[in-house]
Amino acid sequence: MGQSFLEIEGLNKGFGGLRAVNNVGFSMGRDEVLGLIGPNGAGKTTILRLITAILKPDSGRIRFKGKKIVGRKTWDIVNLGIACTFQNMRPFRRLPIIANVMVPCLSPRAMKRGEWVKKVEAKAMDALEFAGISDMALEKASTLSQGDLKRLEVARAVATEPELLLLDEPFGGLSPAETDLMAKSMHRLHKGGRFGRLHSEGPAMIIVEHKLQQLMKIVDRIIVLNFGTIIADGKPQEVVKQPEVIRAYLGEGGI
Amino acid sequence: MGLPGFYLRRAYSLFRGEVLVLPSRVAVFIFALGVLLLPLFSQDPYLLRILIFTSIFAILAASWDLLSGFTGQMNFGHALFFGVAAYCTALLNLRLDLPPWISIPLGALGAVLAGLIIGIPCLRLRGTYLALTTLAFPIILMGVIFAIPDITGGELGLSGIDRLSGSRLTDYYITSVLMLGLGFIMWKITDSKTGIILHAIREDEVAVRSSGINTTRYKLLAFCLSGFFAGIAGGLYAHIMRTAGPSTLEVALSFQIVIWAVFGGIVSIYGPIAGVFILFPLLEFLRIMPKIRMLVFAFIVLVTLLYMPQGLIPWLRDKIEKECPRCKIRNVTTRKTCRICTAELD
Repeated sequence: MGQSFLEIEGLNKGFGGLRAVNNVGFSMGRDEVLGLIGPNGAGKTTILRLITAILKPDSGRIRFKGKKIVGRKTWDIVNLGIACTFQNMRPFRRLPIIANVMVPCLSPRAMKRGEWVKKVEAKAMDALEFAGISDMALEKASTLSQGDLKRLEVARAVATEPELLLLDEPFGGLSPAETDLMAKSMHRLHKGGRFGRLHSEGPAMIIVEHKLQQLMKIVDRIIVLNFGTIIADGKPQEVVKQPEVIRAYLGEGGI
Repeated sequence: MGLPGFYLRRAYSLFRGEVLVLPSRVAVFIFALGVLLLPLFSQDPYLLRILIFTSIFAILAASWDLLSGFTGQMNFGHALFFGVAAYCTALLNLRLDLPPWISIPLGALGAVLAGLIIGIPCLRLRGTYLALTTLAFPIILMGVIFAIPDITGGELGLSGIDRLSGSRLTDYYITSVLMLGLGFIMWKITDSKTGIILHAIREDEVAVRSSGINTTRYKLLAFCLSGFFAGIAGGLYAHIMRTAGPSTLEVALSFQIVIWAVFGGIVSIYGPIAGVFILFPLLEFLRIMPKIRMLVFAFIVLVTLLYMPQGLIPWLRDKIEKECPRCKIRNVTTRKTCRICTAELD
């Protein structure tokens, strides 16, 4: 593990009587791809939302590149270099797809990093190109299929050229072929480089996913959550063999 | 021919390529031309006075659309901006003897300040709650105005404000040119990159925030811009009426603005402007049957909205124009192929 890039300590979040996230702490390096798995309601999405400050934690510390990010506004965090996608896609339905991606392209971070790009539209187009939906750029976002909405979410996140990418179920609702494509583009993104006018830093990623088979191929490390606490942390192949993990997923008795 | 001929030909080809291709653009062009040329045909003072007020309220309705239609910050107290600017303009004119061309912009800045003051507490609210909260502000301000009659004139308001200009015709030209100009500026704002962000805020605020956009700043910007344009209208109103009274803050006016805008079609700056230009003279025209005037008016508005829930102008526009399925450029319905990409129009 490299120098701690993202560091989370003692994170707590409750919704009424429910402890969604209970004393979670982990850290990750600059080049890691981290899988976050667990049964439904284990607090995976909540953790992502706490990192991007869409939700406020009850207690705990989150540091990104040595900077505290608890208490900052969501847009500040995004401009520091963290981008996220939503599990239930939230496109701007009545806007054309290109305009959906132009919004993150107009954020201060994207504007500063792409000063040499004269036209925001061109940059947005490259983000769409990366996600593979550039041919539909002028359609309204409400006409997109489920899979294309996922890609739009990815295009929107990539458009800010993040250093840490939080993906919330990127494969949810996709067909096997689409899942493979998505996994490949994740891989390509992580390697870094240029996609037209868009620059990829080779972001570290946290991926929340249920489709373990595909996830195993792209992640370096997996954290398993159950009832808001971490029950396993390690290499993918080792983690899935651990008895607690099997118990959490399949219940007593196991396979 | 020479140089003037060259420029004339170029202007004409530009006109033919940009304006004559679409009926909606032709309609806007004819409307602007008609507004500017009307005094050539009639200088009836009654007609001019009605059109002066129509222009003023058109600015007001368009500014409401900028805030509530585009940014989605439902404002049911838009009269606040109007009233604040009217009072500010009146006080500046009466106390400091400032001429209209200074007092109106300064009064509008007063309305911008009001936009900031009500914008900040309203940042966390949306939908119905925002509408109810904004509804309260003009009522509160009216209470304040009644409480300090020495400054504000109480229920009588402030009177004796300077005329906007010497003649009614000049007044007409000032208001109508301002209406056209400000309408164009507002339309440009909504068409710009800022406009895209405002649109997106209406659609999903959390998603805009997580795209790295400071939504607080943009929402306040929308409040301030809208306040500024509404303030210009308020200042003009004060100088035309030569009084600024509590009627500029009435709840009825706030709702009137909403009715005009919704009738014309929101989320399009031209819609509310057209709405005012249809409904305001209509209400005056209905004075021929004074007893059932409001009933007929309400009937017309309701029936229109029943059949055209998007508003009158977007409905008409969809009737005469259709979008190319491939390049999304608008075309006249009579065309068989798209004028840009030559795709088949169905």
